[in-house]
Amino acid sequence: MTPGERRFVAYGFASVHDALAAESALTSAGIAVTAIPSPRALGELCGIALRVEPAQAGVAEAALEVAGLPPRASAEIDDI
Amino acid sequence: MTDAPDAGAASPARSCIYLDHSATSWPKPPEVVDAVVNAMTTCGANPGRGAYSMALAAARLVFESRRACADLLGVPDAHDLAFVSGCTEACNLMLKGLLVPGDRVVVSSMEHNAVSRPLHVLSSAGVRVEVVQADATGTVHAGDVERAVRAETTRAVICQHASNVTGAIQPIGDIADIAHENGALMLVDGAQAAGHMKVDLSALDVDAYAASGHKGLLGPQGVGVLYLRPGLDAAELLQGGTGGGSSEEESQPQGRPERYEAGTPNTPGIAGLGAGARLWLAHGEEWRAQEQRIFRELKEGLSAIRGVTVFGPASDEPCVPTLSLVSDRMDGDRIAFLLDRRYGIAVRSGLHCAPWAHRTIGTLETGAVRLGVGYGSTSDDVAAAVAALTELLA
Repeated sequence: MTPGERRFVAYGFASVHDALAAESALTSAGIAVTAIPSPRALGELCGIALRVEPAQAGVAEAALEVAGLPPRASAEIDDI
Repeated sequence: MTDAPDAGAASPARSCIYLDHSATSWPKPPEVVDAVVNAMTTCGANPGRGAYSMALAAARLVFESRRACADLLGVPDAHDLAFVSGCTEACNLMLKGLLVPGDRVVVSSMEHNAVSRPLHVLSSAGVRVEVVQADATGTVHAGDVERAVRAETTRAVICQHASNVTGAIQPIGDIADIAHENGALMLVDGAQAAGHMKVDLSALDVDAYAASGHKGLLGPQGVGVLYLRPGLDAAELLQGGTGGGSSEEESQPQGRPERYEAGTPNTPGIAGLGAGARLWLAHGEEWRAQEQRIFRELKEGLSAIRGVTVFGPASDEPCVPTLSLVSDRMDGDRIAFLLDRRYGIAVRSGLHCAPWAHRTIGTLETGAVRLGVGYGSTSDDVAAAVAALTELLA
């Protein structure tokens, strides 16, 4: 599979601590999540972002809301 | 009286009876050593900066250590705990970050230099400092604090949780109530308390709490934590890189905990501290009971030596496992030296970086010998110390 063949939703957070807390919350909710370098599409070039499958975005955002960790930004991105 | 040969001269790593736990805990539990080594060997990347696997492993290690410390200290949201270089930095941050010229503070007379020296600097800048005298055991009385707080508008009450000289435990919950009823913040130096006693910051309802990572919490030196209650923003002492967020911004990110953690964190130290916190979570009740039992043996044994005065609460009073003593037969520096050279017993003489506390208990001119027990201490250790002092001071 080459880049661009798959799409993901990426979430950015206020801090690395928040990103890892969100990763923990998503994993606990049974959502497949991958930590990635923060993509430019999130408006910042440093830090850690999380990506999930687009089909799971709604469930993921609900889980993050429940955990008190709403993303600071989100964007649809190509596979990286 | 002649000095014994210095058995330690050839080998600084010799085995000794270590009774200086108030300064730092030693030996460290194997789990702590393993955590430090693991951090350095398997995830030595800079945590929170890159997103490659090893950097993520390091970031997760810091994250999990923060959670463990939060669980141990009764902090509901780990965001509110910042890792710092030690309790001294934590005290500086809470004092210099929260107080401004014109503020009045009420502070106990038992404070360590980690509090009194920052206050000295702040007083030069216009912060007014009112000292409340503790009693001869080193205990601060809430009624005395209340009178001082009510005398004038007060920005903050500052008090240690436990004394590094006498082991006295201060009534922080009561003092915090007084502070809050009078519109003041409650700021606590918990250097001697965390680990040695159960600390529940939610129940204590304090506004800021500084803790050492390498004393009762059993981590390595060079790490500590500062709790700031939600909504209480202290000005950060340092600005710099924080890894995530918006690196392009000129100003320091205001989000917790990164606001207070500029620069590369002490990942091995944080890993070790996290391991120590997990050990306390697993064994705290049992270990504290053992510490207290051994400490009572020490205190009662030392109190029975002729000419020795032991400073601290009575044996049946709550305290952390630290005491100080003086002898009418020998100066403290000589006692500490001979305990080391003749008996291989490690204790500290002098003022213990707490001249205010020694002034309070009347030993500012003489100093005292301090003994403290902790992780790894045994009944045999304290029996040996009592026997040695009995012989030395006969």
